[in-house]
Amino acid sequence: MKKYYPLVRTLHLYFGLFISPFVLIFSVSVLVFNHAGFLDRLTPVKALPVEKIKLDGIPRDTSDLLTAKAIIAKLGIEGEIDFISINEDHISFPVLKPGLRTKIEVDTRTDSVRISRQEEGSLRATSYLHTMPGQHNARLRGNSIFLKIWKLMADGVVYLLLLLTASGIFLWWCLKVERRLGLAAIALGVLLFSALLLLIF
Amino acid sequence: MPTTPLVKALNYWNRKLHIHIGLFLLFFIWLFACSGLLLNHSSWKFASFWEEREQTTTQTPIQLPATLDSTLVIRQVVRQLGIAGEVSEVKMTLDSVDFRVTVPGHGRNLHVDFRNGLCTQKAFRFNLWGKLRTLHTFNGASKTHPESGPNWWVTTTWVLAMDGIALGLLFLCVSSWVMWYKVRREFAWGALVLGLGLLGAGYFVFLLRMV
Repeated sequence: MKKYYPLVRTLHLYFGLFISPFVLIFSVSVLVFNHAGFLDRLTPVKALPVEKIKLDGIPRDTSDLLTAKAIIAKLGIEGEIDFISINEDHISFPVLKPGLRTKIEVDTRTDSVRISRQEEGSLRATSYLHTMPGQHNARLRGNSIFLKIWKLMADGVVYLLLLLTASGIFLWWCLKVERRLGLAAIALGVLLFSALLLLIF
Repeated sequence: MPTTPLVKALNYWNRKLHIHIGLFLLFFIWLFACSGLLLNHSSWKFASFWEEREQTTTQTPIQLPATLDSTLVIRQVVRQLGIAGEVSEVKMTLDSVDFRVTVPGHGRNLHVDFRNGLCTQKAFRFNLWGKLRTLHTFNGASKTHPESGPNWWVTTTWVLAMDGIALGLLFLCVSSWVMWYKVRREFAWGALVLGLGLLGAGYFVFLLRMV
């Protein structure tokens, strides 16, 4: 087992260093989720001035998503279209980037567009990234390049994190002097984990 | 440069804590990693839960309090039904009150009719996959009233545990940087690897919204 130690240590170190900033994003966002009220008091969401624009015709496409994409392309706005609300004379949809929420409201009778923006800040950006791609609106999700990349990154981080736990166990087991305390740490963790699950379920 | 005893001690404890906090958090990391994957891959057939949910509807006579205050009514109804969970989505009218009581994987929508003293309970229960997903996102936070916080002590405990896990992971990240810095000559690519990670994460959090 000892002969694999240098290789496992190298992989653990490099993979760990690479994903650590992403793990920071996920960790900070947990605190943001759990203390949203405190965050609102600390750094309130900032509404930016509303823009009103008249387009030379609303581009219509074969699906709501393609129509919405054509509209934001015409407006020069980039981001992930979150959902689309459409009726006879209105199309509206939020376009999201981590930390910035843009709402587009189009009046199809007059071709006028209302653009409102909310600057949410970097802490809320982490919570947005944490929830993406997520379980909702699966058919729409990943309509921007950045979210396609983030989806791969998020999955990659999780798989690497699982790999790091395995390599971490291996490295710890090789350190005989840490075995006893390590077993106690695992036992304590299992105890707390089981107690919490028993409490909830 | 000579290493002072304080730096030596800090390095010693940094490494020791990195190992043992990592081991302590092992099961929590596995839980959140696996449930995170489930949330991001709702198309995975083996983990489908919504179609498999169990639904029941029951009606129970309820003894209402003299004062029809929503908090008092909810407290009394929950006690009489012998249920517990995070209360949300409370809607009160002159004749009735509607609310939801949730524990991960098990939700109850309750309608209490003040005129006939009946409580209609529509419950849904998820399988293991559904429980894992809802456990991942269970923090009692209300989108409409973020300042209110959880109202069930178990949710508060779970939120505290999640905070602790997040802080533990933060420590693991920072301590890994310190540990690498100590052996930076031996692992020279570490600067590049960490730099790439920081650049990628920084782009998503700070830069993306500016371009």
